[in-house]
Amino acid sequence: MKILSIASRNVFRNWRRTMVTTVAMGFAGFIMILFASLMQGLLQASERNAVSMDLGDIQIHSSDYREDPDLYKVIENPDRIVNDLKKSGFHAAKRLYGFGLAASGSTSSGVQLRGIDLSTESDVTEINRHILKGSWLDEGDPKGVVIGRKLARTLGVSTGDELVFVGQAADGSMANDIYTVKGILKSVGEEVDRTGLYMVEKSFRELMILPEGAHEIAVMRPDRTMDLDASTERAAGLAPGYETLNWRELKPVIARILDLADSQMIIMVIITYTAVAMLVLNAMLMTVFERIRELGIMKAMGVTPWQLMLLVYAETFIQVAAAGLLAVLSGVSLSHYFEHNGIDLSSFAEGASFGGVAIDPIWRAYLTPGSVAVPVIFLFIISFLAVLYPAVKAALIQPVKAIHHR
Amino acid sequence: MSRILITAALLIITLIFPIGRSPGETDDASVKKAREILRQVDDMWRGTSSHSILTMQVRTAHYTRDMRMEGWSKGKDETLVRILSPLKEKGTATLKSGSDIYSYLPKTDRTIKLTSGMMMGSWMGSHFTNDDLVRESRMEEDYEPSISYEGKRDGQDVIEFTLIPKPDAAVVWGKIVATVLADGYMPVKYYYYDEDMKISRTMTFGRFEMLAGKIRPKVMRVVPSDKPEEYTELVYEELELNISLKDEFFSISNLKRI
Repeated sequence: MKILSIASRNVFRNWRRTMVTTVAMGFAGFIMILFASLMQGLLQASERNAVSMDLGDIQIHSSDYREDPDLYKVIENPDRIVNDLKKSGFHAAKRLYGFGLAASGSTSSGVQLRGIDLSTESDVTEINRHILKGSWLDEGDPKGVVIGRKLARTLGVSTGDELVFVGQAADGSMANDIYTVKGILKSVGEEVDRTGLYMVEKSFRELMILPEGAHEIAVMRPDRTMDLDASTERAAGLAPGYETLNWRELKPVIARILDLADSQMIIMVIITYTAVAMLVLNAMLMTVFERIRELGIMKAMGVTPWQLMLLVYAETFIQVAAAGLLAVLSGVSLSHYFEHNGIDLSSFAEGASFGGVAIDPIWRAYLTPGSVAVPVIFLFIISFLAVLYPAVKAALIQPVKAIHHR
Repeated sequence: MSRILITAALLIITLIFPIGRSPGETDDASVKKAREILRQVDDMWRGTSSHSILTMQVRTAHYTRDMRMEGWSKGKDETLVRILSPLKEKGTATLKSGSDIYSYLPKTDRTIKLTSGMMMGSWMGSHFTNDDLVRESRMEEDYEPSISYEGKRDGQDVIEFTLIPKPDAAVVWGKIVATVLADGYMPVKYYYYDEDMKISRTMTFGRFEMLAGKIRPKVMRVVPSDKPEEYTELVYEELELNISLKDEFFSISNLKRI
């Protein structure tokens, strides 16, 4: 206890230097907390875009469908599998896919046609609420389609405009019809943005002459905290003979990027804090050197080397604690602000994406316990490592030499 | 060491001063002959202009389709094809003008222009691609021909050409090996190789009968190499050559008229 009170007196002795050191550490901590929460926000939004807007947790396909998507490679009894999945607590929706050409006026673009079962799709994904303009599909409007935003731009269409689809139906005939753009989606991912053309299941079946089957069943765990691999296995058991994969297996690149984010964060923290560590080392070394006589006298009076080391550490601790408090207060409050008021990137990062997953144009922070704790804990660790040298220096002072030190 | 130097020097000299034949002059007569034959083959069904009635049968693992269509062409760049049956697709018309393809869809009463991305897509559900329509009768322009075989094969005198795409030609095939009869230059069999030089499809010609005043093959059959049980067969029912057709005939507005 005595050490702590001596330490605090020492800390305030040269209050300007203490201030500079503390504020510098606090600022670094603040930047790291903000950086961590912004990174978390980006990753959360990307994962949400990938999983909750398109993939779902788990997908079931005919075994060779993904290699070569073909209108004929269908899951033959999708309704039964969907029902079985629902009985086991999963959310599941069947989907139909086709390819063709969408045209408007003199422009046209290749599209991926998606037939959606409206009654179940909203249990699995939130795509129905991810609308930039217009509205989502409606069973009562079979000719109304929803398209990706880049596709809308390529075709030069907006809501209410007409669009012609041409493709090859399952019987080899030419599938063609006129549709009205009912809605335009917000950014989801490269594929959907560029080529997504959503229509209700019934219209898809009529257009492509595919009365039965489905190409994909998208599945969502009842609870996001459930183990993904175990859930995948359970879902696979309900769809024997088909390929059942979770989103990490479907999009390994995205999964890797998300996994690597934590270690990236720690590397960033270490690099930034190394600079801070130099500062702390310098400040503490100075406090030790300018007090050599004083420390020598202390030692002569019977203070043990351990106690001197502890003294230096106590002085550091007071400063780091103050810096940490500063960092948490400012970092959390600014991150909190950015949680609610995202940074609008749309002017210069329009349609940016990584690994095929769209980055939201509004970048929001996302505060997690980790994004606060990691910067603070590392601030302590690195500062303590940095003052090891001055602390040892203080501990090993020889009283006689120190007292005569000028 | 010195041997390596000499070899290197020779190599450099050869590269800088190509000795002997330059590409333009090689086997001048043979290339000219190859070109001339190819031109005749290209014009087999076209002449300066043409009008034809064709039937097309498409067989795939999933469906069999029979279609009847009427086609017109003028020069190398203008082609118009209109579906006569089945009823569902009657009136669907395709216009190729230059390197553009337009499709008129009677069901929607709209005309659309195909993008370059759709060129490898199937034309009317057949094994022909849209690109085939555009490239049709352009072999002579896009490929450098050479005669790779001349002599008897299956009891017939044939000439075999190997067509290598010209460096700047935007074509999809790695090469084409075409066999024509030495007598009358009638096409017999074409092998289309992809960019990896694997056979991608085979086109066989048959039923050499009187057509537009001359013996010509009436049947053309395309078999994709990866699905040998599938095919598209095109049969000429009628063919008139060198008729008078106005340029306006090959216009988007004429696509709709039935």
